[in-house]
Amino acid sequence: MDSTIEIIMILLVLSDMALLGLSRLRACISIVSFQGMLMGLLVLIAHSSSMTPRLIIIAAVSFMIKGFVFPYLLRRGIREAGTQHESEPFVGYIMSIISGVVMLGISLWLGEKLPLLAALSGSSLVIPAALTTLFTGLFLIVARRNALNQCLGYIILENGIYTVGVVSVVEIPFLVELGIMLDVFVAVFVMGIAIYNINREFDHLDSDRLNNLKG
Amino acid sequence: MNHEMTLGLLILIPAFAGFACLLMPSLRTALGLMCAGVFGTAIIGLFAITSVLFEHHILYAAGQWLFMDALSAYNYFVMLLIFCLSSIYSCVYFRAEMEHHNLTINQIRLFTCLWCEALTAMTIVLLSNNLGIMWVGIEATTLITAFLICVHVSRESLEAMWKYILICSVGVAFAFMGTLLAAASAKGVAFGNHNALLWTTLRTNAAALNPTLIKAAFIFLLVGYGTKAGLAPMHTWLPDAHSQAPAPVSAIFSGFMLNAALYCVMRYVPIVETATGNSSWGLNLIAGFGIISIMTAAVFILFQTDLKRLLAYHSIEHLGIIALGLGLGGLGTFAALFHTLNHSLCKTLSFFAAGRLGQAIGGSHDMEKMNGSMRISPVWGIGIFCSILALIGIAPFALFISEFQLLKAAIDKGATVSLVLFLLGAGIVFIGALGHAIPLAWGRPHSTAPVSRASFVEFILVFAPLSILLLLGIWMPQPLQSALNASADVIRNTVSASASLQGGLP
Repeated sequence: MDSTIEIIMILLVLSDMALLGLSRLRACISIVSFQGMLMGLLVLIAHSSSMTPRLIIIAAVSFMIKGFVFPYLLRRGIREAGTQHESEPFVGYIMSIISGVVMLGISLWLGEKLPLLAALSGSSLVIPAALTTLFTGLFLIVARRNALNQCLGYIILENGIYTVGVVSVVEIPFLVELGIMLDVFVAVFVMGIAIYNINREFDHLDSDRLNNLKG
Repeated sequence: MNHEMTLGLLILIPAFAGFACLLMPSLRTALGLMCAGVFGTAIIGLFAITSVLFEHHILYAAGQWLFMDALSAYNYFVMLLIFCLSSIYSCVYFRAEMEHHNLTINQIRLFTCLWCEALTAMTIVLLSNNLGIMWVGIEATTLITAFLICVHVSRESLEAMWKYILICSVGVAFAFMGTLLAAASAKGVAFGNHNALLWTTLRTNAAALNPTLIKAAFIFLLVGYGTKAGLAPMHTWLPDAHSQAPAPVSAIFSGFMLNAALYCVMRYVPIVETATGNSSWGLNLIAGFGIISIMTAAVFILFQTDLKRLLAYHSIEHLGIIALGLGLGGLGTFAALFHTLNHSLCKTLSFFAAGRLGQAIGGSHDMEKMNGSMRISPVWGIGIFCSILALIGIAPFALFISEFQLLKAAIDKGATVSLVLFLLGAGIVFIGALGHAIPLAWGRPHSTAPVSRASFVEFILVFAPLSILLLLGIWMPQPLQSALNASADVIRNTVSASASLQGGLP
């Protein structure tokens, strides 16, 4: 069981790195979709010793929403906006990957600093991987211009937090879990609508050119 | 009525009213149903509030997932007050827009629906005992109110909406991390995993929680909920959202949504304090954010040209003051809660006035164009001028009293640095805002627009909050004082702090 979790964590970190290095939005979305499926699997594997119907439902819901519904919404966004690439990000792709490696280093260091959390999660890789994912999400939000990429960043950030939640806290009541899922779903949905409207009104998705309101 | 039903109804009534609003055939019926929903909730809510605050019950419902203690009852009272006033005002405001044909039936259906759902979401925040559900409620308010900013779709409002969703969602995601860490800190404490997220459980077992994890949790929570509460330096979404939203929406944003987020921080304060051995670690952190907010707002207030942005920066300042009071503890907690009520009332009134004056001069909130507002509309001119005076803390208004109590708390505690910075910030705000307010009231009007007559309802909307603020500034009713003490005791740890309060008030 532990080794499976570690494989998932490694895949998680690798997908983070891929996201940092890719410029094609379509490819980025596919990777986010892959990460979403990993999240669904993680729920099952982390609690494989005590499988309950509740867990299976949660895993299935998160697998479907993060793996298929989000990518669908985002792909539709791209189609309507007609943008395929991130045009000139604030931080170049090579620099992004280097920052990713630095973030991984920081996460490993932080993971050592929080031994109790690591002990709870049962594997020394979980906390660093989750933190790397969280930082990657933040990085994408800050360093990319395209509103769609920022939305992807939010999903990644959420995945990072979700990983901590799944692995280190056993019992989040079912209703709370569903509420959280619903909220994240609606958040992405609302962002999708906002992106659609921004594109219609401005003819571009560059969030740094949304700068009428100042001071 | 039993409690189970009461608390359930408080959530269900606005939820259903909201969905029903979507089906309404005309503008008037939709607004009417919205008001009916809000006032219906308010009447039932008052029963629950009196039973909690004056008969000292704690109401539980839904297997302890919902509860109402003194702190939630007091905040719920403030919220109902703000929502009732704003609902009446939105009828006035949108009637004027209808006359200019600025509004379609679909827009008003969406508005009334989201308005009621926002009430539902904030009620869930205040009434939930489960910290996870509380988080869900806060995130839901973000998503629901995002569309309220965009009732009129324009470039600016879209920009404001995008910043609002993105910054607040990311911020609130941090709060989720904090909630998880708080739950993790309870691992190994023997109360059965099922209850790990219940506030009452964590509160009773606070001493046994893991201090390192709860500290980490609190940092995440403070940054997360602080973003939503508009504490600097995470405040950047706030002026944009407040200035672009329609006036009634700005009023509930400033009047209660920010407080709802700060309420979540308040819930964690006693847990963190007990878990860290009453070291004031968490309190100092909150006070620090409070002071940064006051100073940031003070600087920005000087350079504003847009009235609603000016008021938005006032919100940051006052939320900072509330946070500072909370961080000082003791009398400060009392002052912070009292300030919540005063600020909400006053800020609601000022956004009302800004909205109506903006309509009178043709849809802009540029202060230069609003010059001489006393002549443009005497009633709302008095409203905006008096509310700015109250906001900067002029003497007979209640905000002066709560700020004075806060000063006293700072002196009692010997927090000289906080005291000096607070006075400095308040001084800058005083001068800056007064400089804006005087021409705003008496300057030479730009437009030759005819003097707009205010209806009786508008007259009440201006003078009811003003007279409450004046009254509370002169005389503190005994029931309010005991209610404030009871809810401050939920946050404070020590019994001695509350004992020192008796009779010590101005």
